[in-house]
Amino acid sequence: MPGLIGLLIPLEWTACAAEESHSEGFAPGVASFCARPLFPELGEQFSWLNNVLAQAVIGTILVIAFWLWVSSRQKVVPGKRQFFGELAYNFIRNGIARDMLGHDYRKFLPYLVALFSFILVNNLFGQFFVFMFPTFSKIGYAWALAALTFLLYNGVGIYKHGFLKYLKNNTIPAGVPAWIYPLIVPLEFLSNFVIRPITLGLRLFANLFGGHLVILVFVVGGTLLLTTTEELAGKPIWLLQTAGGFSLVFSFALFALELFVSVMQAYIFTVLTAQYVATALADEH
Amino acid sequence: MVSPNMGEHGGSGDGYRVLGMLLSGPVFYGGIGWLLDFWLHTSWIFPLGLIGGVGAGVYLVIARYGRSE
Repeated sequence: MPGLIGLLIPLEWTACAAEESHSEGFAPGVASFCARPLFPELGEQFSWLNNVLAQAVIGTILVIAFWLWVSSRQKVVPGKRQFFGELAYNFIRNGIARDMLGHDYRKFLPYLVALFSFILVNNLFGQFFVFMFPTFSKIGYAWALAALTFLLYNGVGIYKHGFLKYLKNNTIPAGVPAWIYPLIVPLEFLSNFVIRPITLGLRLFANLFGGHLVILVFVVGGTLLLTTTEELAGKPIWLLQTAGGFSLVFSFALFALELFVSVMQAYIFTVLTAQYVATALADEH
Repeated sequence: MVSPNMGEHGGSGDGYRVLGMLLSGPVFYGGIGWLLDFWLHTSWIFPLGLIGGVGAGVYLVIARYGRSE
């Protein structure tokens, strides 16, 4: 049971509390994800001003700046800048929004574009210099986005159908005989209102958390082995150093994989948001 | 009837939806079974609930996606 709860609340909470009492050097682990306060001299009540918050804010600014930059001074014949912006915009518009939402996709397009670019930028922070840390490997940030999507799809569903009809649409499947309702209705409710937001947040968090942890193990462990100067567990030094070198080289393959996962997770989160909105708007299932 | 463009799109979205339905079965009925076992001090209702829940989840998926109209 504690393991299950540990998934749902910020995973590193206990690890971070333990790390403050005794520092264990730089072995990669859950404690590697602890946030560092930006201004430790201001004391405990400003500890929420940490590096993760800073990169989320910088990510927001980058996203806003990007869309302002590509959408300003538009011409009929697009230049390189405008062409790139339209390419990115059309990818969400045609590939996700119009595909999923049909004719009234326009209302949701701003949210989907913002969601995709925000997640993408924050995920890519994990692979590039300056930050080297994916924002959504802190589970609270993933929960916030999942909650936003949860509010959106339920909100538009209730707005369109009214509360009772929306509830009926989402709990009673069509084409099922009435005597089986008691068996099915709780499952539909659970799957539409509980499991959906939880898996949405967990999927984003776990992919980035796991990926970042693997990279930490390969890079930090590889560096440790490569620079080792004494025998370890009866293995000769040259063997340890070779293993460290291989581990560092292989970490580039993992970086490439993480690059793919970053884009993939941003895409999946946006697609699922669009799909949840589509099913909430659908007249009947 | 579902309008042509709404919620009919296949691919990963539907896959995750099916996964959610399949999960909800054992989670709900397994949970009920676990609670009953906990209160009645028995040990056979939890596995029964799990298996029944998987069955109900599969039925739900078939009811939603299995119809060919």
